[in-house]
Amino acid sequence: MIFRAVEDADLIRKARRGDVEAYNLLISRWERRVYNYLLRIVGNREDALDLSQDVFLKAYQNLRKLDDPARFAPWLYRIAHNEAYSLFRKRRPEGETEELQPETLEGAATVGGNAVFPVELTLAVSTALRKLTSDQRETVVLKIYQGFKFEEIAEIVAAPVSTVKSRLYTALELLKNELAPVKARGVS
Amino acid sequence: MSCSPFDLKGYCFKELGESERRLTEVHVRTCARCREELDRLRGVEAALLALPDEEIPQRIGFVSDPVFQPSALRRGWEALWGSAARLGFASAAMLSAALVVYSITRPVPQANAPAPAIVRAALEKDFARRLNDAVANAVAKAVTESEARQARQTQALLAASDRRHALETQAMMVRVQEYLDVEKKHLDTLRVMASNEYGGANGEAR
Repeated sequence: MIFRAVEDADLIRKARRGDVEAYNLLISRWERRVYNYLLRIVGNREDALDLSQDVFLKAYQNLRKLDDPARFAPWLYRIAHNEAYSLFRKRRPEGETEELQPETLEGAATVGGNAVFPVELTLAVSTALRKLTSDQRETVVLKIYQGFKFEEIAEIVAAPVSTVKSRLYTALELLKNELAPVKARGVS
Repeated sequence: MSCSPFDLKGYCFKELGESERRLTEVHVRTCARCREELDRLRGVEAALLALPDEEIPQRIGFVSDPVFQPSALRRGWEALWGSAARLGFASAAMLSAALVVYSITRPVPQANAPAPAIVRAALEKDFARRLNDAVANAVAKAVTESEARQARQTQALLAASDRRHALETQAMMVRVQEYLDVEKKHLDTLRVMASNEYGGANGEAR
């Protein structure tokens, strides 16, 4: 359990009054999670960092629109989701309707010339995630890596809870099949 | 695959309600197939979680720059529109103010009152008639008073003129009388002198 002398809600109230330092403290609590969410969606560190900065700037500018500070996390991820999909739309060629894929997820092991995910399991997971649709992948990221409840995911991606469940369950079936050979080799 | 109606994925990811979770838990203990399925799901979850989070390559932070800060007016406006409670309160306050103003300024309703337009026209007509009567009366009164005042002044002037004329006439009569008296005395004096002279001449002649 993490003890926080100052709750997020207090920092949000201070930031609303123009306290930039309070907002910077709030960013420090969330930037890593938001960055990794975006990284797993867009598959590119540079884009993930740029988008993260945009997300926190937009969040600051719209902080007063947040009615309930307790709902900060889904609200922040909703902004991040919109930013990521806005980037997808900009980069999608005119008229293309095919499913969007992370640009360099396969190359995530070599981005910047450094080994990012060196072990076989992480490569297998990266490859398996790449085979999901962007909606399925985002749902897996929000559920498995970010730990949101179905209702919160539905709020973030602006879809019904039933759709979220369907996307996750389908993705899990696909991942189960993709990762079975890796498990069988005893990598995990 | 799992036995219907048990939601093993929901159970694995802690999305079930308390009663449903207990029922599934009991079922999994007795169902080998569901237990294997649950193990596979947990294996997938563990594999996914083996993909570690990365550190953010560059920390994000903002400086206190007015450019990034909304103005006080914008903060207030956004606070109003961003909060349903505040917006509702403001709407209720405006409605209350409108009701108070209306209750103060509205005309007093009358029993069996005709339609407002007709009442207004009748009131305007009555007001115009009363205004005309009042103006006519005031003008007539002022004219009468003016004429009376002028008549009084004329009479006073005439009376003064008469008095002055009478005095002048009287003074002139006095002066004429004085003149006549002087002339009479002068004539008497001449008569006496003539008489004396005539008497003396007769005596000498004799």
